Amino acid sequence: MENIAKIVFGFYTLIILGGSLVAVGAKSLVRAMVGLIATLMGVAGMYMLLNAQFMALMQILIYVGAVCVLIFFAIMLTRADAGGEEADSAPLRQNLLALTAVLSVGGILGWLVLTRPLATTGTPVEVSIENLGLGLLGPYGLAFELISVVLLVSMAGAVLLAWERRNGK
Amino acid sequence: MSPLTLYQLVALILLMAGLFGISQRRSLVGMLISVELMLNGAGLSIVAASQLTPANAMLGQLGTLFVMGLAAAEATLVLAIIVVIARRFGTTKTSVVSTLKG
Repeated sequence: MENIAKIVFGFYTLIILGGSLVAVGAKSLVRAMVGLIATLMGVAGMYMLLNAQFMALMQILIYVGAVCVLIFFAIMLTRADAGGEEADSAPLRQNLLALTAVLSVGGILGWLVLTRPLATTGTPVEVSIENLGLGLLGPYGLAFELISVVLLVSMAGAVLLAWERRNGK
Repeated sequence: MSPLTLYQLVALILLMAGLFGISQRRSLVGMLISVELMLNGAGLSIVAASQLTPANAMLGQLGTLFVMGLAAAEATLVLAIIVVIARRFGTTKTSVVSTLKG
């Protein structure tokens, strides 16, 4: 990597690290959501660095634009006062167990990643948006149709679940 | 250390943060945030692996796009479930919602 790319990579890594720490550790759920947004922005920057501009745009559009707004709706609709939900911190035993699980999984995966490096090409390839669209309409058309069915079903299911019956039944 | 390894380590950080959150958070919204963190780590790992190796780069980007779509669908359903639970139990703390615990 060039020097400037290294600096930018470190910057994004810091954003991701800080954001995910806030998202996981903040007492207030709104603050946790802001941490999540920072993390998502950092990952979008990583996509830019990987020469996948379309993915960066979609990351901001779908995650920050749709998913985070949904999470904000969830926070508001459950009437969680800003600090109430997570005010009493988890007991020490639960924290230790969670830390054990994280360190075992992270240790195994990190060991695998560090000891078995893949052969890399060094510079990221560029895929034009035209090729992505042609791929969605051509070889991966079935997956494209299936994801639209999944989205439709989840939307209908959400409406059905949250429907409030007004008069008795 | 190759660039791919660095990207994989960042994705691993996201996975670890999400895993810690989902086992330590005590409200459903907090767990939802952690799940989104983990899915993001998966997407970053897929894109990095497909962009920096001779593998099919288009397939990697489209796969991550599908991961994002699934995350959106999942967030929609979880929102509806949280609303139903909040209406029925009056709270979304995981310690209260334990009718099936026996």
